[in-house]
Amino acid sequence: MASLKLEHVTKRYEDVTAVDDMNLDIEDGEFVCLVGPSGCGKSTTMETIAGLTIPTEGKVFIGDRDVTNLPPKDRGIAMVFQNIALFPHMDVYDNISFGLRLRDFPKEEIDRRVERAADIVQLEGMLERMPDEMSGGQRQRVAIARAIVREPDVFLMDEPLANLDAKLRVHMRTELQRLHKELDTTIIYVTHDQAEAMTMSDRIAVLDTGELQQIDPPLVCYNEPTNLFVAGFIGSPSMNFVNGSVGADAIETPNFSIEFDPARVDGVAPGDDVTVGVRPEDVYPVPEADDVSHPTAAIQARSDVLEPMGDEIFAYLLLGDGETSMSQEAATDDQLLMSIEPDSDLQEDETVSVVLDRRKIHLFDDTTGDAIAHGIVDVTGDGSAGTRAESDD
Amino acid sequence: MATIDDTDEPDGPLNRWVQRAIEDPERVYRALFYTAMIFFMVTTLFPFYWLLVLAVTPNSEIIGGGFIPEIELFGATVPFPLPVPQGFNPGAFVDVFREIPFHLYMLNSFALAVTTTIIVLVVASLAGYVFGRLEFPGRAVLMLAILAISYFPPAAFVVPLYDIFAGNAVNIPFTDVALFQSIELLNTPGSMVLPFSALFMPLSIFILTTFYGQIPDGLEDAARVEGTTRLGALFRVIMPLSAPGVATAAVLTFISVYNEYFFSSIMATSPQAGNWSPLVGGILSYQTQYTTSFNLMAAASVVGVLPMLILVVVAQERIVSGLTSGALKE
Repeated sequence: MASLKLEHVTKRYEDVTAVDDMNLDIEDGEFVCLVGPSGCGKSTTMETIAGLTIPTEGKVFIGDRDVTNLPPKDRGIAMVFQNIALFPHMDVYDNISFGLRLRDFPKEEIDRRVERAADIVQLEGMLERMPDEMSGGQRQRVAIARAIVREPDVFLMDEPLANLDAKLRVHMRTELQRLHKELDTTIIYVTHDQAEAMTMSDRIAVLDTGELQQIDPPLVCYNEPTNLFVAGFIGSPSMNFVNGSVGADAIETPNFSIEFDPARVDGVAPGDDVTVGVRPEDVYPVPEADDVSHPTAAIQARSDVLEPMGDEIFAYLLLGDGETSMSQEAATDDQLLMSIEPDSDLQEDETVSVVLDRRKIHLFDDTTGDAIAHGIVDVTGDGSAGTRAESDD
Repeated sequence: MATIDDTDEPDGPLNRWVQRAIEDPERVYRALFYTAMIFFMVTTLFPFYWLLVLAVTPNSEIIGGGFIPEIELFGATVPFPLPVPQGFNPGAFVDVFREIPFHLYMLNSFALAVTTTIIVLVVASLAGYVFGRLEFPGRAVLMLAILAISYFPPAAFVVPLYDIFAGNAVNIPFTDVALFQSIELLNTPGSMVLPFSALFMPLSIFILTTFYGQIPDGLEDAARVEGTTRLGALFRVIMPLSAPGVATAAVLTFISVYNEYFFSSIMATSPQAGNWSPLVGGILSYQTQYTTSFNLMAAASVVGVLPMLILVVVAQERIVSGLTSGALKE
C-alpha cells in the first residue's frame, strides 16, 4: 500500500502531446478513476504510472520513492489490462503465480497466495484450466487474481471491464468494490464509462486532451463541475447547454430568459456571454413544478422524442419555432432534454410548459468554458449565490 | 435427370461415376485431391526408392544397368514400370560404416547443425523482436538490407572468408594497413558455423519478425509489469507463443546446415571426419581416384536422410502450421 504522486508529468510523442502537465496526488488506499473520452490521455497516464512509458517531463512517486525511471517490475505495481492479457500458453495457476515465480518465492508461499487470491475472486477448482477454456468473466477474474497475489502497493486497472457484456460488467463492478474494501489498496482505475467512475471511486479524475480537468469525489464532479467539459462528460444523459447573455436582471437565451441578479455572482457582469447548463432532472413540467422553490418563468416547448427508461422518461423538447435539429452538438439552443416521472402522460408532439430549477442552473464562461457559478439564486442568505466555482488553476 | 431410379442408372462404370459426381460434387474434389497427392508422392518418394534399389544392388552390377526388367503380360513383353534391384546385398548398409567412419561425418553435420540453429535462433529472436515489435526510423531499410544478404550467392563470400579463416592478416582494401590478425579456423567448426549462421540468419529473422510482430502488446506489457525485463518477456512469453514460427525457423536452418556441402567442403581442407567434414563430404569419399562405390554412396545417403526424416515427422505439424499461419496473417 502506498500513495501515488504525479508531478508535472508530460508525455509528448513526435507531434502529439498525450499528457500535458499532469499533477495527481492520490492517497494511500484511495480508489481513483481516471475518466475521459477516447484519446484524452488516460491510458498514457496509466502507462506512465506503470512504467511502460517513460514521461518526457515530470516525476512519478509511489510512496516516497521516485520511480520515474524504474522499469515496471521494480515499481511495486500490478496491473489488470483491458484485453485481459492472460498468457495463453499457461494454465490458470501458472498465470496467477507468474510474477511470484519470477521473484523466486518459495513454493509453499506461492501456493498459499494463489489459493487465497483464487478464493477472493472465486476461482477455486479452476487452477488447472487453460485461459481459452474459460469465459470472459472468469478470465477477467484470473487477471485480477494475478494482480492480487503480488500484493502490490498500487493496483492499476486499465478498463478491465470494457470487454465484458453489460450484465457481467455490473456484477464485476460490485466485486471490484468489495475487493477494494477487502484489500484496502490504492487503486487507479481507467475507464471511459462515466457510470463506472461514478459508482466505484472515492475520487474521479476527469481528463480531456491530456489535461486534468477536475479531480473530486463523484458527487462534487456531478454537482459542481469545474468547466463545460466535466459538466458535459459526467452524467448520462448529458447536461443541457444553452447559449445566453447576461442582462441587467436576467440571462437571455435565444428562446427564454432566466431571472438573475448579476450582482449576486462574482465574475459576471451584464453584457457577458455565458453558457447556461442544466441537467435533465432539473427541468420540470409545469404541473409538477410546485416543489421547486426557485423556478424560472414557464418556458414553452413542444415534445419531440420520448425515451421511456422504465424508472424515468427522457423527453426531448424543442424550443422556439421548434424545427427538429439533427445536430449532435451538446449546445443546441433549440433543444432541451427533460427527465420526467415514468407515469407522466406526456405524448410526443405536445405543447408543454417547463420550468428550470434555478438552484441547479450552472453558468459557464463562454470563452474559457470555466464554471462561474453552480446555482444562480441566493439560497444560503449570505449574499452569494449557490456555490462559487473554484478556479482550476 | 429427374429421378434417381435404379432402372435409370446409365450403363458403364465411367457413366455411372460421372452421374454420381454430378449429384455429389464432393466426389470430384476428392478425386482431384487423390490425383494430386499421388503425383507428389511419386515425385518425392521415387528418388528415395531409387536410392534403396541402388544401395542393395552389388556395386559390380550397377554399371551393367538393366534395372527395368521385361515381363510377360497377357502374351506381350512389356517393361516393368519400376526399377528392381539387381541382386540383394543389404551388407552395403554395414559397409558404409566399415569403409569410412561415416557415423563421425553424421555427427559432424549434426553438431554443426545444432550449434548453428541455436546461434541463429537466439540472434534472430533478438532481431525479430526489434523488427517486429519496436518502431524506429530506418526499420524497413534495415530489414531490406538484411534480406538482401540472403540473395548474395554464397560463393561471393568463400574466397575472403577462406583467406580470413586461414589465419592471414586482414588489411584495409587497397592498402597495407593491417585491420586485424585473424586466428586460424580452417578445419574447425568455427569456420563453418560462422558463415552458416550469417547466411541462414536472414530467413529466420524474417520468419520470427512476422511471428513476434503478431503477439499482442498487452501480453508483453503484462509480463513486464509482472516482473520480467523486455528480454525476459521475449523468452518467457513471446517466444513460447510463437512456437510454430520458432520451430519453422529452427527446422529450416537445421536442414539447410545438415545438407550443406559448398562451404564445408572448402573450410574442411580435406574430406576427413577429423577436419569436421560433414555428411556430404563423407558420402563423396566413397569415390576414390580409381573406384566409385555407387552402392555405398546410395546406402550412405539413405542412412543420412533418416535423422531428418524423424525430425520432420516429429515436427511437421508445427512446421506446417508455422509456414501457413505466417503466410495467412501478414
